[in-house]
Amino acid sequence: MKIVAITSCSTGIAHTYMAAENLETTAKKLGVEIKVETQGSIGVENALTSAEIAAADGVIIAASTSVNKDRFSGKKLLDVDVTEAVDHPKELFERVKTAPVYQGNKDSSNDVSIKSTKTHATNNVGSKAKGIYGHLMTGVSYMIPFVVAGGICTALAFAVGGINAHGTLAQAISKLGSTAMGLMWPVLAGYTAFSIADRPGLVPGMVAGMLSSSMNAGFLGALLGGFLAGYTVLAMKKWIKLPSSFSGLMPILIIPLISTLFVGLVMKFIIGTPITALNKGITAWLNSLTGVNSVLLGLILGAMMAIDLAGPIGKAAYFFGVASLTNLSAGQTSPIMAAVMVSGMVPPLALALSSTVLGKNLYSKDEREAGKSAWVLGLSFISEGAIPFAATDPIRVLAAMTVGSAITGGLSMWFKCGIAVPHGGFFVFLIPGAVSHVLLYVIALVVGTVISGFLITFLKKLRFKGKEVNA
Amino acid sequence: MAADFALRKLMPPDLITFDLQATDKAAAIKELAQKIKDAKQINDLDTYLNAVFKREEEYTTGIGNGVAIPHGKTAAVLKSSLAFGRSNKGITYNSMDNKPVYLMFLIAVPENSSNEHLQILSQIARKLMHEENRQAILKAQSPEELYQVFES
Repeated sequence: MKIVAITSCSTGIAHTYMAAENLETTAKKLGVEIKVETQGSIGVENALTSAEIAAADGVIIAASTSVNKDRFSGKKLLDVDVTEAVDHPKELFERVKTAPVYQGNKDSSNDVSIKSTKTHATNNVGSKAKGIYGHLMTGVSYMIPFVVAGGICTALAFAVGGINAHGTLAQAISKLGSTAMGLMWPVLAGYTAFSIADRPGLVPGMVAGMLSSSMNAGFLGALLGGFLAGYTVLAMKKWIKLPSSFSGLMPILIIPLISTLFVGLVMKFIIGTPITALNKGITAWLNSLTGVNSVLLGLILGAMMAIDLAGPIGKAAYFFGVASLTNLSAGQTSPIMAAVMVSGMVPPLALALSSTVLGKNLYSKDEREAGKSAWVLGLSFISEGAIPFAATDPIRVLAAMTVGSAITGGLSMWFKCGIAVPHGGFFVFLIPGAVSHVLLYVIALVVGTVISGFLITFLKKLRFKGKEVNA
Repeated sequence: MAADFALRKLMPPDLITFDLQATDKAAAIKELAQKIKDAKQINDLDTYLNAVFKREEEYTTGIGNGVAIPHGKTAAVLKSSLAFGRSNKGITYNSMDNKPVYLMFLIAVPENSSNEHLQILSQIARKLMHEENRQAILKAQSPEELYQVFES
């Protein structure tokens, strides 16, 4: 006989492992082949593969938390409290032989009756208990390493190959950087959906994130896509009922296909069309602004760079800046590009300042770590360094960042700073002739960063007034 | 070797006693918890005890065969710790098998514990399920002998 099992307990420290040990030793004595997946506070260990599940004659779930049973559709499944596996494991191997075949979500009333001891404890790992914020955090925590690795590779490419990343090595590193950065949207949307709907959420979520990236919908588009994908899959699991002989098709064919079609088409036509229109409209509007006071233009461009962090509005401002470079002759610099770049550096730097210096206790551990790398990302003009912060608290973060970025953009114009290249951040400051009025340029950057940094720290303090944030 | 060293840090000799005085569950937990507090690994004893007793309400950590592993996870814990107490008289514990407890492992884990500590605790929990290990702990005369049970 082959058995697969999952053990899990509410604190995930002791019973999970004692139950696993007992199941393993008992199985050995009985001559039963077993694999036990533990879901404790270390996370999932010894995870069951789909091949192992397919080969198993039965499933034992010994848990005092709600364990997702999707994987076990069509298997004999015994669902008991974790203490039963600690106390009398042998009996469970008898009972699993006659356990009912698990049919999917609909027989949940049945599984309550099987549980003999106290059921579901407080620490619910199921999706409902987590809430929207929890799903968001899951997505963001998976995304952060991509932003960091990608962003720093991009910065490294400038360091190795100069402002245009010249040379084979610099080009390769730059490519690596943009590839890793390019994955941030699919990962954010994919894992937000994964958190909501488990594994089936991953496909439509990642596709939605990729679409968001290709249509310049930025992180707001990716988040929207992730939630849409997650809840679509959740609804499908609930509403689509198939005869049990076809139920195996649900996770591998029906859910991925239909959810991807639905989410993808919604992203493309319902969300994408207005976003593309917005991007085009703003570009046209910027082009019509010729002759407007240059400080005002700086303020506007600066605000745009922060308001959606490289979303449709920020992209429009950036390309407006890049376009201004094309009319330059050798030795000239563009004040518009200068304002765009320096104000795009403000959000990550201001959040780094707030999360690592001004208000450490207002941020989670993940955010403080993201804050450290945001220093590097900000100095490299990678506005995306601010996204982990913006994704979890968009209104406060975007508002605070927009103010400082606008001021920096306005100051840059006022100081008549100019720049000859479209990217590179602090690295180009150091190159003679690349930036005019370098010192004033740095001042513009510092002023906006400090203003935004204090502002966001203050807003977060108001929010957490009295209560401490747990890390 | 790294893991061995880690167990000794998690459960230093001053958190080990072979002569627990208390004979009822609450008092025994408090007695061991006080040792963790004295070692300055908990900043607020009451918060920690509340977490342990609350956990105990869900279902008993008296896992039978004379062993109990009460545990609490709370921000009041500064550093993951494990305290061990052996009772020679036996502790009334409301165990799963209704027998008295002779071996008690009190676990204290902060909200954000390193996986390394959790790994060790999970290994200890697994070892306790084996009769020969329990016998060896009952016979241990020194912290060193106790460490050796888990390091073998």
